[in-house]
Amino acid sequence: MQKIDKVKRDKALELLKSGSDSKLLTHLNACVRCGLCSGSCMFYIAHKQSKYIPAKKVDLVSSVYRRYCTSMGKIAPALVNAKDLDDSMAEEMVDLLFGSCTMCGRCVKHCSIGVDIAYIVRKGREMLSAMDMVPASLQATVDSALRTGNNMAIPTEEFVDTIKWMEEELIDEMGDNNARIPLDEPDKNIFYTLNPREPKFFPLSISAIAKIFYAAGENWTISSRFYDVTNYGFFNGNKEQATVIARNLYDEIHKLRGNVLVLGECGHGTRANRWEGPNYLQKSYDFDMTTAVELIADYIRQGRIKLDRSLNKELVTIHDPCNLVRNGGLLEEIRFVVKSAADNFTEMNPHGNENFCCGGGGGMLAMSEYNDRRLKIGEIKANQIRATGAKVVITPCHNCVDQLSQLNHTYKLGIKIKTIAELVADALIIEK
Amino acid sequence: MCWYHWIAISSLIFSVALFSYQFARLVILGRPHDLSVSSGNVTKGIVYSFTKAMAPGAKESAYLHMPTYAGGIIYHLGTFLSLVLFFVLITGFPPLNYSLKSIFSVLLFISFFAGFAILMKRIINKDLKSLSGLDDYISNGVTSLVQLFTAVYLLVPDTETFYYLSVALFFIWLPLGKTKHLLVFFFARYHLGFFYGWRGTWPQKSE
Amino acid sequence: MATLEVGGKVFDVDGDGFLTDPSVWNDEVATMFARLDGIEELTEKHWAIVRIIRNNFEEKGNAPMIRFICQETGLKLREIYELFPLGPARGACRVAGLPKPDGCV
Repeated sequence: MQKIDKVKRDKALELLKSGSDSKLLTHLNACVRCGLCSGSCMFYIAHKQSKYIPAKKVDLVSSVYRRYCTSMGKIAPALVNAKDLDDSMAEEMVDLLFGSCTMCGRCVKHCSIGVDIAYIVRKGREMLSAMDMVPASLQATVDSALRTGNNMAIPTEEFVDTIKWMEEELIDEMGDNNARIPLDEPDKNIFYTLNPREPKFFPLSISAIAKIFYAAGENWTISSRFYDVTNYGFFNGNKEQATVIARNLYDEIHKLRGNVLVLGECGHGTRANRWEGPNYLQKSYDFDMTTAVELIADYIRQGRIKLDRSLNKELVTIHDPCNLVRNGGLLEEIRFVVKSAADNFTEMNPHGNENFCCGGGGGMLAMSEYNDRRLKIGEIKANQIRATGAKVVITPCHNCVDQLSQLNHTYKLGIKIKTIAELVADALIIEK
Repeated sequence: MCWYHWIAISSLIFSVALFSYQFARLVILGRPHDLSVSSGNVTKGIVYSFTKAMAPGAKESAYLHMPTYAGGIIYHLGTFLSLVLFFVLITGFPPLNYSLKSIFSVLLFISFFAGFAILMKRIINKDLKSLSGLDDYISNGVTSLVQLFTAVYLLVPDTETFYYLSVALFFIWLPLGKTKHLLVFFFARYHLGFFYGWRGTWPQKSE
Repeated sequence: MATLEVGGKVFDVDGDGFLTDPSVWNDEVATMFARLDGIEELTEKHWAIVRIIRNNFEEKGNAPMIRFICQETGLKLREIYELFPLGPARGACRVAGLPKPDGCV
């Protein structure tokens, strides 16, 4: 049976036409297929198959663009590498744009021309989304967020119980009945956000950030309904859904009259809220936005928290989340915090803007369909980590944490993986 | 002026007209409208995009592929030399003496071989072959051909007809095939500089 | 659909190795899946965690919160992470025969 009818195809093509901004038009026309991007892509390096070359992924989208949106493509498609958007093309697009790209953007930086390959891949995902061809597992995560306000469908009362539990632990640890994890409190300076995997399975990072806020004497709160920093609508290519999810946080911070939206340690969540959010909602935000990393860096600079680096003696290294560093400009802030909190620090090679993705980006971790590929490309990261000799890998992204944990097990690295808040919390000097 | 001069000039006009249209379209669409709050400097990002980010040491597409990169640079220089020589040869100004012609001819033979080698690589290398379609072969073909015919014409004036016809073919294809990167390249660097500049990734800092 | 062969038996699983049909699960399956994760022997503590996850799934259709697991078993958080090196989601839930939870796990 034919999957793609004319209606679906037209919806997909509309994205190439109506959205014709200068950026889109440029990047659709810029690739010369020199193929020199192959060596910059984890999928190609790990699998050595032609189909994984980033230029191939760009070509799927741009060949469809040429076929339907340029005169030459309409008159003589073969001459200009223009191709029909049919079932086999769409399936190839799903396989390569969803299943073989984490949109880490490493190839972008190294492209001989300067094609924003990840941007074109995302455009391709938008087209697939318009044709209802998002992998089921990825769509399920988006649907959970749309239905319940968080991507793991955690009921509010269970979330509240977990926060109360963490608060009791905090009171115990600090020996102070005034130690708090404030829920739903209005007019606070900071409106903090979490990745749902924290309350569901890994709440130590919640107690870590609470400890830091306690030490800094911060005035903060978490919403019990809309605390989810993630936005898988950024990955599935459905802008309407991404907009609904982004609006959750926008509306909630207004409801609670918070000053600063602090994005928890999440790479794509930061990107989807900070860089894409105002564009999804088509309005400038009337509150400030920052990340946990930058906030902690400010505390350290202003002397609001004091750290004893000797409390973190083991050799640590940083895994740079693509969406925070190459695509977010936080290279130096992350290093400033880690070096302030740990005694022994070493860099991975390569690192920073040159870093390799953990392998779980782009929604990869949610898509069971491509598990084998994800673990295979992760071997590159595993080897990088092993070469540093570090015992602890710090990464300010829960998605990276999960992929790294799986790599740790699969490739027997014997490391610990921590978020920035966990590292800093371990080095805190609490003045009583 | 012979008929083939007119064909070459008409093709040039076609090329310039189409490029002007593409240029105007991209310019009129304007700069990206981003509603987020920038944490960097777009102007500096764009300058960086055209300068340091282009250095061979900054791009794996260069330093991991030195022979291809070097060949590509020579090939591109040959293309630009051919373009300049077209205006010199059709106007007869400035006049070229035999030794200058010989030097240019030798340079163009070299750049032709660089282009030819890149074409061969595209045909032989399985990765590149899988990426390629007619556009890739035509684009390389017409560009290499112009360099070859320019090199020959400089030494053998009798080949004038072939020379101008190859130039005409080149001009016609230039804005149609991937060769349009002659124009789009600059917009791509601009947008990339804008993107990374906006977010404070470029100019690359200390690390 | 992928399959997983363990202990001479073949199971239908998703790409991440989670059972496609949770109803085929039993104690023997749990033991075999645990071995794949390098847990040679399921101790009482392991079983306590697995049972709570399984019961929650059968009652509510999803994995319980880690808080609930700690509360019911009396185990500390860190103990749970040590017992299942792949963590509560990819480790314990898989051994308990649940489908893979959504989100960044």
